[in-house]
Amino acid sequence: MSENATPSLLPSPTNRVLEFIARYGIIFVLVIMVVALSILTPSLRGEQYFLTKRNLLQVALQASINSVIAVGMTFIITSGGIDLSVGSMAGFAGVVTAIALRDYGVGYLGGFLVAVGAGTACGLFNGLLITRANLRPFIATLGTMGIFRGLALVASDGRPIYGFNRRFIDTFSGETFFDIPKPVIVAALVAVGGWLILTQTRFGKYTIAIGGNEETTGLAGIPIQRYKLGIYALGGFLTGTAAALLTARLSSADPIAGNLFELDAIAATVMGGTSLTGGEGTILGTVVGALIISLVRNGMNILNVQSFWQQFVIGSVIILAVMLDQWRKKQVRPQ
Amino acid sequence: MVSVSENTPLLRVEDITKSFGAVQALRGITFDLVRGTVMALVGDNGAGKSTLAKILSGVHPPTSGQFYLNGQSCRFDRPAAALAAGIETVYQNLALIEELDVADNVYLGRETTRGGAIGRLFGILDRPAMRQHTAKALSQLHIKIPAPTLAVRKMSGGQRQAVAIGRALTWGRELFILDEPTAALGVDETEQVLRMIERLREEHGLTFIIISHNMQDVYRIADTIVVLRQGRHVATLAKNDTTPEEIVAYITGAKE
Ligand SMILES: Nc1ncnc2c1ncn2[C@@H]1O[C@H](COP(=O)(O)OP(=O)(O)OP(=O)(O)O)[C@@H](O)[C@H]1O
Ligand SMILES: [Mg+2]
Repeated sequence: MSENATPSLLPSPTNRVLEFIARYGIIFVLVIMVVALSILTPSLRGEQYFLTKRNLLQVALQASINSVIAVGMTFIITSGGIDLSVGSMAGFAGVVTAIALRDYGVGYLGGFLVAVGAGTACGLFNGLLITRANLRPFIATLGTMGIFRGLALVASDGRPIYGFNRRFIDTFSGETFFDIPKPVIVAALVAVGGWLILTQTRFGKYTIAIGGNEETTGLAGIPIQRYKLGIYALGGFLTGTAAALLTARLSSADPIAGNLFELDAIAATVMGGTSLTGGEGTILGTVVGALIISLVRNGMNILNVQSFWQQFVIGSVIILAVMLDQWRKKQVRPQ
Repeated sequence: MVSVSENTPLLRVEDITKSFGAVQALRGITFDLVRGTVMALVGDNGAGKSTLAKILSGVHPPTSGQFYLNGQSCRFDRPAAALAAGIETVYQNLALIEELDVADNVYLGRETTRGGAIGRLFGILDRPAMRQHTAKALSQLHIKIPAPTLAVRKMSGGQRQAVAIGRALTWGRELFILDEPTAALGVDETEQVLRMIERLREEHGLTFIIISHNMQDVYRIADTIVVLRQGRHVATLAKNDTTPEEIVAYITGAKE
């Protein structure tokens, strides 16, 4: 408000570089991992094993289901919330879908609609607990994590469901043009759609605003409860989509499928640079985060590292990502 | 527009009370506010100033009593209703979203969309238009910001307050409520805000309620001063008939 615009408030070039690295540093991590694995695998195994089309598509396939769920998680975390129930939700939606396909003869598209419908219903239920019953997202979804898993076990009698509509499996799994796995295509579409919604629409703007300051957003006349409901429903919708892909890929629905999916989704999101305190989210970062998790698993398998170390490495990357985020916030905010 | 007689006050507040459970935040507030004047609302911490502001802007319903805008009874059940009636409020500590840029803040809750009916359906934001209008509106108010795309969290306290007030002025028609607009500001920045209010009142005949703890500022810009103490309305003073010392005496209870 001084007479002349204060230039010191504009980011200086060095600040901008630092901010860029802090914000998109995760992309460099991805690049470094790819380079390192391409160099390491031939020297250790005598042949290039990592940098093959087949293996890279495998990495993308392994990342795809997590990426779809994590895009929804990005909206939820950006709004200042969390959803711990996505793993159970995926298991439940898968079981419901398999039962609908096997026992009720819904077609392959019907099966897909059942999956996203079940996921959306679960997301809406989370949203209602948070907006109507005023539960904290952590508590509400910790509860529904148990509820959805319990429902999946009850509905399936605790056993995996096989023997359903072949067409469903063929439609939502396998490869399409250029041998690209179909889940990878779906994940790419979801990422582009999520990016458009978050950056270009009112819904995305309000998601950021609610995470930035819920009270201020409400004082601006925005119906925050309705938007929060929508955000959790979107998370459920995407988790249902992931459940359809998973069920098709495994040709079965296991009531314990999706176990610990919430950890991978949250990890991909925070690694990507979405702030756990809300108000900031990046879909691109989330997709990169999902790819890194998949790369860690893939690379360790190729290098014959004991699989126990995978959790250790992923956990460490999460902690580093959050530390980086906190450091970046301190750089940007004076005081 | 309803025909408003010359004598109808812009705002009439009649015996408003507000309780939060056992806490009686307001115990009977009554005043008239004339169009084109500045009213200062003063009182110690916890006196109920912000609570009154929030009632007038639709955040809380009053426990009892009513208020009228241009002679029409107001029953706001949510902030959007007060905004629609032309009352804009700059809230204490809650004015802007730090994570959004200036234009996104100015247009928060009032976004324009592009792409016709489909754009409206999906809420596709017309950011270029909103940025352009923001730059124009703020410069008309003589508010200088580096760019409408600057994130609020990178701005100084004075710039933020200017943007918050600018946002209110962009949309408000009837009444502007500013809750401690200069509390977080330095001397220069405070001066800028006070001058802006004076100019808007003189040139555009706008009506303000300003909450402040600074007696010099209050005495300088207010036409009338309403003093609250522990939720009670202890005095309504005309600036020309009072002194800063008398105002302080009412605030502290040295004078009843
Ligand atoms: N939402 C609420 N719930 C319960 N009590 C509240 C609420 N809002 C305000 N109060 C209480 O009402 C009283 C008046 O608060 P208010 O914020 O209006 O004071 P104030 O005059 O604005 O003070 P300050 O100068 O510190 O801003 C205080 O005792 C406060 O604790
Ligand atoms: Mg206050």
